Amino acid sequence: MLVQQYLPIAILVLFAIIMALIVVFTSVIFGPHRPTKKKLAPYESGMTPIGPAVRRLPVRFYLVAVLFILFDVEIIFLLPYAVVIRQLGLYGLIATGVFVVILTVGLLYEWKKGGLDWE
Amino acid sequence: MLTESVPLMQAVVPVLPEMGLLLLLILVLMHGVFSPKESRRTVCVITGVGFFTLMVIHLSVGFNFVGDPDFSGSGLGDIVRVDAFAVMFRAMILLAAALTCLMSGESRAINRRVEFYVALIVAALGMCLMVAANDLILVYVALETASVSLYIMAGFQRDSKLSSEAGLKYYLFGAVTSAILLYGLSLIFGFTGETNFSRLGPALSALTANGSEGVFALVVALLLVLVGLGFKVAVVPFHFWTPDVYEGSPTPSVAFISTASKAASFGLLVRFFSIVWPAEMIPYWAGLLAALAAITMTLGNMLALVQKNIKRMLGYSSIAQAGYALIGVVALSDTELGAAAVAFYMAMYVLTNLAAFAVISAVEWNTGSVQIADYAGLSRRSFPLAIVMVVAMLSLGGVPPAAGFFGKFFLFSAAVDAGYTWLAIIGVVNAIIALFYYLTVIKVMFVGKAEDESRYTIRPRLAVVLWVTGVGILLMGTLASPWWRWAVEASQQLTVMLP
Amino acid sequence: MIPLHWFLLVAAGMFCLGLFGVLIRRNVVAILMSIELMLNAVNLNLVAFWRYLAPEHINGQMFAVFVFAVAAAEVSVGLALIISIYRNRDDVNAGDLNLLKW
Repeated sequence: MLVQQYLPIAILVLFAIIMALIVVFTSVIFGPHRPTKKKLAPYESGMTPIGPAVRRLPVRFYLVAVLFILFDVEIIFLLPYAVVIRQLGLYGLIATGVFVVILTVGLLYEWKKGGLDWE
Repeated sequence: MLTESVPLMQAVVPVLPEMGLLLLLILVLMHGVFSPKESRRTVCVITGVGFFTLMVIHLSVGFNFVGDPDFSGSGLGDIVRVDAFAVMFRAMILLAAALTCLMSGESRAINRRVEFYVALIVAALGMCLMVAANDLILVYVALETASVSLYIMAGFQRDSKLSSEAGLKYYLFGAVTSAILLYGLSLIFGFTGETNFSRLGPALSALTANGSEGVFALVVALLLVLVGLGFKVAVVPFHFWTPDVYEGSPTPSVAFISTASKAASFGLLVRFFSIVWPAEMIPYWAGLLAALAAITMTLGNMLALVQKNIKRMLGYSSIAQAGYALIGVVALSDTELGAAAVAFYMAMYVLTNLAAFAVISAVEWNTGSVQIADYAGLSRRSFPLAIVMVVAMLSLGGVPPAAGFFGKFFLFSAAVDAGYTWLAIIGVVNAIIALFYYLTVIKVMFVGKAEDESRYTIRPRLAVVLWVTGVGILLMGTLASPWWRWAVEASQQLTVMLP
Repeated sequence: MIPLHWFLLVAAGMFCLGLFGVLIRRNVVAILMSIELMLNAVNLNLVAFWRYLAPEHINGQMFAVFVFAVAAAEVSVGLALIISIYRNRDDVNAGDLNLLKW
């Protein structure tokens, strides 16, 4: 029963995959293949490539990523609370308030320490 | 419906230290950000006094409420259950944290960096929840709260290659073992559909009644959980991080990791084995833990014998001490005195290791060295330091009148009571081997000669730590009975609280 | 409905894959990713158990949510430690963490 409902989607996915494979491999099989050094070079808007393709990212990105993850994931606790906000009443409000206050203290610290400044 | 029927005290008392720690955390963090740089010198005193006040409040409230039949001890929707056992371990953790604060103030690596104290507070918070946990979810969250802060403390000296390497090693071992522990917890949840300890026990014994299949499943979960807890207390196959972290991390961090973290983990271990696992499982874990204890003691002592670095030596010694304490957990299979022996041993061990690390801090402040050879002539360079070190080493070695003697005595007698005489004998043999390297330190301090025998200065805050721990060790060693009675009462409540 | 043990098998496979990654990868960031895989396997386990065995209790779902949050905290501390190692020695290879031994 359940499987039959998903059958059209499965057929669509299968069809898409097959089409994509056909498109890619037709050109590989039937197209001419005469590589030169210039042709194999990485494409960079038609200019001569400058430097390696894999570059080191500034360490600042990590800081931003870490801070983002922390504050992003903590939101996960507010979602279940939103579902039962009426049943929990005052107790739930205070508990969630404490939670948010602690997060805010962390944010304040981060802000004052310059964690949010890019330069 | 959760709260209206519960009086305020019932709800607040079980998590009182945690609430206090949370306020202290906010205070210290804001102090570090908003107050001028010069006034941050006081942060170690503020935090230390905060910890100490919380300990006193916690103990006085604990004695008033715990044991009262009207007081259930359960808090936060029954995920925390405070009994005398939890009160005792929380007191140890808070005391260790307070003394660590004073030590950090006199450490050049830490001194007035607020982040260290914040990590310390969060770690203490996690440990306080760990020893009172009554729910699988809280076990995991508390364990990780404590561990993650300890990783930060271990790698705190960012500019030191040794410290950052120690931090990362601790982190990698810790993260993997905690994931394995978590898998075990998820299996326990899967077998029963429960996470609360008081409902978990009956559900698990119903499972073992189902025959060998249920028992086999539980043994798998048990092994997985044991990996995680074994890492925290540094039991042998999971001990590799210990010497590296002890050597590389700043001395106050090591003092805290080796004392509070070990005590909290043993508190959790004892609670887990006495409440969660049904009696039908005893034959499966008792023998395994006995073997682990024997291997841990022996290996720790053997490797400690050859160390040149005193922090590394104490690292191996702490592995051996975990082995001794594990004897008490084994004895738990037959007698509740096992839990009392573990509690007493941990109280003694917290004081003793803090004393040893306070001396190491003082010597490090003066010379910057942690090699045992550089302790030569310590008795002439600073007699008080040498005396405290002697007391600490004798206590670790189990020689009267230091507290370690009674600690080992209670452990071994509990093992004999439980029918593990062979384990007690291995323990005694190990204690004798261990004396060799503890006495070596004493010999170097008194007999060894240094070229330059100028006097050391002892910083005032370190002096406080040295006094408290030194007197505490001797007090526990000479007047052991009140402490032992407290531990026995605590361990009795551990099982009485069962529904 | 798909039987429970299918989910458990997938979770166990993911967990083993993660553990395998931890043991064989040399790059610390890759080890971190493997640990994350192990935690996600546990989450799958928890949610499957909850849905099939105890849907009336919210415990299992909450457990998974807490695992998420803790994993995020753990990973950010791990990244910070990796950065401090990297600044000290320009390298994040687990095999090169050899200043401390014996």
